[in-house]
Amino acid sequence: MSATTSPAPKKYRARKRITAGAVVKNVSALVIAAVFVFPVYWMFSSSLKPQHQILTKDPVFAFTPTFENYTTATGVDLFWTYVTNSLVVTLGAVLVALLVALLASFALARMKFRGRKGIVLVVMMAQMAPWEVMVIAMYMISRENDMLNSIPVLTLIYFVMVLPFTIWTLRGFIAAVPVELEEAAQIDGCTRGQAFRKVIFPLLAPGLMSTSIFGFITAWNEFAMILLLNKDKESQTLTLWLTQFQTAFGSDWGATMAASTLFALPVLIVFLFLQRKAVGGMTAGAVKG
Amino acid sequence: MKRKLIAAIGVAGMMVSIAACGSGSGDKGDKGKADGGAKSLTVWVMEGSAPAGWTDEINKAFAAKHPGVTVKVETQQWTDIQTKVTAALSEDTPPDVLELGNTQTAGYAATGGLADLTGDKAKLGYDSWNKGMLPSNELDGKLYSAPWYATNRVVIYDKAAYAKAGVTPPKTRAEWIEGLKKLKAADPKSQPIYLPGQSWYVLAGFIWDEGGDLAVKDGDKWKGSLSSPEAAAAMNFYKELASYSTAPKDKDEATPQQSTDVVPKGGVASWIGLGWEAGGAIDALKKAGKTADFGYFPIPGKTADKPGSVFFGGSNLAVAERSQNKDLAKEWLAIAASKELQAKYAELAGGASLPNNDAAQFAPAAGSFAEAMKQAASVGKITPVTPGWANVETAPNPVKDFMTKVLQGTDPKAAGEAADKVINERINQQ
Amino acid sequence: MTVDSPGTATAGPQDAPGRAARKSQTPPAPAGPKEVRQPSRGRRSLPGGLVPYLLVAPALVSMALLLLYPLIRNVVLSFQQLNRKEFITHETVWIGFDNYTALLGDPDFWTVVVRSVVFTAVNVMLIMAVGTGIGLLLNRLGKKMRLVLSLALVFAWAMPIVASVTVFQWLFDEQFGVANWVMRTLGFSGYEQHNWFETGFSTLVISLLLLVWGSVPFVALNMYAALTTIGSELYEAAKMDGANGWRTFWAVVFPNLKPFFLVTTFLEIIWIFKAFTQIYAMNKGGPDRASETLPVFAYIEGVGQFHYGVAAAVSVLTIVMLVAIMSFYFRLILKQEEQL
Repeated sequence: MSATTSPAPKKYRARKRITAGAVVKNVSALVIAAVFVFPVYWMFSSSLKPQHQILTKDPVFAFTPTFENYTTATGVDLFWTYVTNSLVVTLGAVLVALLVALLASFALARMKFRGRKGIVLVVMMAQMAPWEVMVIAMYMISRENDMLNSIPVLTLIYFVMVLPFTIWTLRGFIAAVPVELEEAAQIDGCTRGQAFRKVIFPLLAPGLMSTSIFGFITAWNEFAMILLLNKDKESQTLTLWLTQFQTAFGSDWGATMAASTLFALPVLIVFLFLQRKAVGGMTAGAVKG
Repeated sequence: MKRKLIAAIGVAGMMVSIAACGSGSGDKGDKGKADGGAKSLTVWVMEGSAPAGWTDEINKAFAAKHPGVTVKVETQQWTDIQTKVTAALSEDTPPDVLELGNTQTAGYAATGGLADLTGDKAKLGYDSWNKGMLPSNELDGKLYSAPWYATNRVVIYDKAAYAKAGVTPPKTRAEWIEGLKKLKAADPKSQPIYLPGQSWYVLAGFIWDEGGDLAVKDGDKWKGSLSSPEAAAAMNFYKELASYSTAPKDKDEATPQQSTDVVPKGGVASWIGLGWEAGGAIDALKKAGKTADFGYFPIPGKTADKPGSVFFGGSNLAVAERSQNKDLAKEWLAIAASKELQAKYAELAGGASLPNNDAAQFAPAAGSFAEAMKQAASVGKITPVTPGWANVETAPNPVKDFMTKVLQGTDPKAAGEAADKVINERINQQ
Repeated sequence: MTVDSPGTATAGPQDAPGRAARKSQTPPAPAGPKEVRQPSRGRRSLPGGLVPYLLVAPALVSMALLLLYPLIRNVVLSFQQLNRKEFITHETVWIGFDNYTALLGDPDFWTVVVRSVVFTAVNVMLIMAVGTGIGLLLNRLGKKMRLVLSLALVFAWAMPIVASVTVFQWLFDEQFGVANWVMRTLGFSGYEQHNWFETGFSTLVISLLLLVWGSVPFVALNMYAALTTIGSELYEAAKMDGANGWRTFWAVVFPNLKPFFLVTTFLEIIWIFKAFTQIYAMNKGGPDRASETLPVFAYIEGVGQFHYGVAAAVSVLTIVMLVAIMSFYFRLILKQEEQL
């Protein structure tokens, strides 16, 4: 990765010229790409293998794909309930978080008021909340207030889990929009609110998308809360479904990998889709404190 | 600078806590649980416990007496079950009837989570229960659960592999080892026995054979006794057996599941398991297009006159103290524990475990698992009967850690002392 | 498990780095990402008084209710004896600082503390080094290669944690894992049935690999996005001065991207220190409790061993430690805040 490996000026290098440096660069890029993709590939390929080709001492690379494992994984009781619950909880948490965070981050990025710094600090600290160990306190509160096995309560908890990061990131994005634009709009007779809606908001699209991916991943993945709070099968989500193949029928690695693939798929789709739309100009968020 | 920072944190904290007070009280509206109307019972049974159809039979009998009450039977996994049961017992809508492992029942009874059934002895059929199964259901003279079934482990072997090596079921430990040697010689690629490093119920049997125990009472306190010479001798024998196995040293029999993941793949001449495990292996083999040809013998003892001691595993059925329908729950329990339903259970389980009532026993076929199991039932024992024992079994289980350490080369005495320290901490607390 | 998945904040698979999009934004000032100062005339239009408070109120109220209140409850619980019995019977038994004194006097606790700190430090250093390296590489690759590598990174990044843990367990499985096969194929002996989780150390190494694998994409892609804000003139200038790659990095890249490194390291420290699933699910903190870090220790003490009061105390101590470690960062970031 050292600059000396490439003698040509990097931005304007001639296309066809092949240098030792370029070879090193491209080969290492390929190797790194392979390393990062391999676990994902292995998950996917294992999920398509028939049982007897999964539990082998030497891995099988050539096989006739089968959807047997997917049938096992999706054939579980209440599968669609888990899917619905996961979607409701995740999307609900992300949408509410975006809305609430948008208001707060606008104030934090654009307005001066007493206590602003304190709030920024609170938001920063809130990201350190050790949710896994707060599970017990959360459980006791839910138990006292009759809030166990509730999808709305879970949605609210996830919403607060993703809120601090969402505020923090969005604030960076808003701060990156030049104030001049907003002012120009206000000179044109817009109110502050209108200026926000018409000028800042469209520019925030990439920011909104990338923060929602974060929220999506977090809520989609959550495990500790639901394990204790929602013991009722009807109010559980896909994370618990994912782990059940390792206990019920021994370790059914094929079904586990099929379940993992199905579980990863929505995130991947959201990711690829939103990132494509959000290409470029994204240094704002996390890069700017 | 630092002071400024602290001040900032303080202010922020204050602001937020004020907000918390304001809205915290506002949100606490009363949301009464809509529980009126039709009554219902929830029953928790464990994975692999209730044979298909048995709970349906109970529900049928129950519905005849209590029409209009719906019964929901939910199957639970053994993994993290203590966490789940503990939380459930603390809630206002717990499962009404639940299955508890016999080593854990006393622990729950001591926490006040289980309903006292002492007054219902007659209704539940107390007098006809197997006396050997009773102790785990009682604490300080009170009854907290009804025994359901008991079972113990036997050696399950592949008849073909044994025949090929010219080995017959052994009667003593010496013959057992001798046979394993022959099996190894006859087929070096197979495992003469599959024995994972943390099969601690098997070890418990060996310790009892030596005259020791997992923990002993010392005054009114309990203390671990894995550092005893008896435990060391037992562990050394376990190690010798395990040397004929390539099973992982740091896993128990359920990871990977020996019955469904390991044995069906072949290359295992024998293994130690329960009735449902043998059944699971037979099914898995059938699925793979093979036929199981299993024989069974009790775990050999030190001498030929007595089989090896075994852990008398099993389950009890209890009623949650916080159940909203305790009387109905007791009714259901009385039906489940009755002689008729127990006979049905024994029949459906194919004799793979013993029902709570000797009269309800299912006559085992010759050469079956049940026959081998019955031979060893006379030397069945259970883990120390104290509420604190349930704490010992929680993960990370010190007995398992002890076993792995010794198998990896630690001196049994040193490993035993470390384990005893943990046991002592846990066994005496509620 | 929870807020752990380095979500995202910046770039993904960009085939055209800051080309069009960046231009639409702030001009790429050589000074790097520096926020536009609020000109004083902007203040004129600021609605006075209540509006900002109204805007932040929903966020603050919800955090107070669902984060602060449970946190306070957690602190309260840490002063109680709350074992299985009290838990089931809803009894409250106050024991003052007993949980704390027991913990602070327990050598096992301190072992866990040291282990967590070392684990976090090694992890974050690796993540930052590898992530920065890959970020730099991305910046120097051709268009197609860059797309390939970014896509690979996005795949790793998008993998849900629960799924990735099961995949890693599967890769390093004792009987059928690919890792053993790779070692055998490379000609190493003793990998017929090597147990990768035999010691706490080896278990933590696997967890570390998983965390690095899962966290590097966040750093690398952000790094790359940040690099595109540095004008190429700066590199040229450095080159003319005869600086080599290493010197260029420290003379041009690092100073310009200081805020980036600051924030990313801050986030990674938090995420790694709190990492739970990646360690717990790997081997349940074993063998013999040797791979327990603070969150895992708290979870096992509480949810596993039913010492909820002790677990609450552990979590309070964890927060205190985290705040102590992070106070340096808070100060730096607050300083930046003053420039806003």
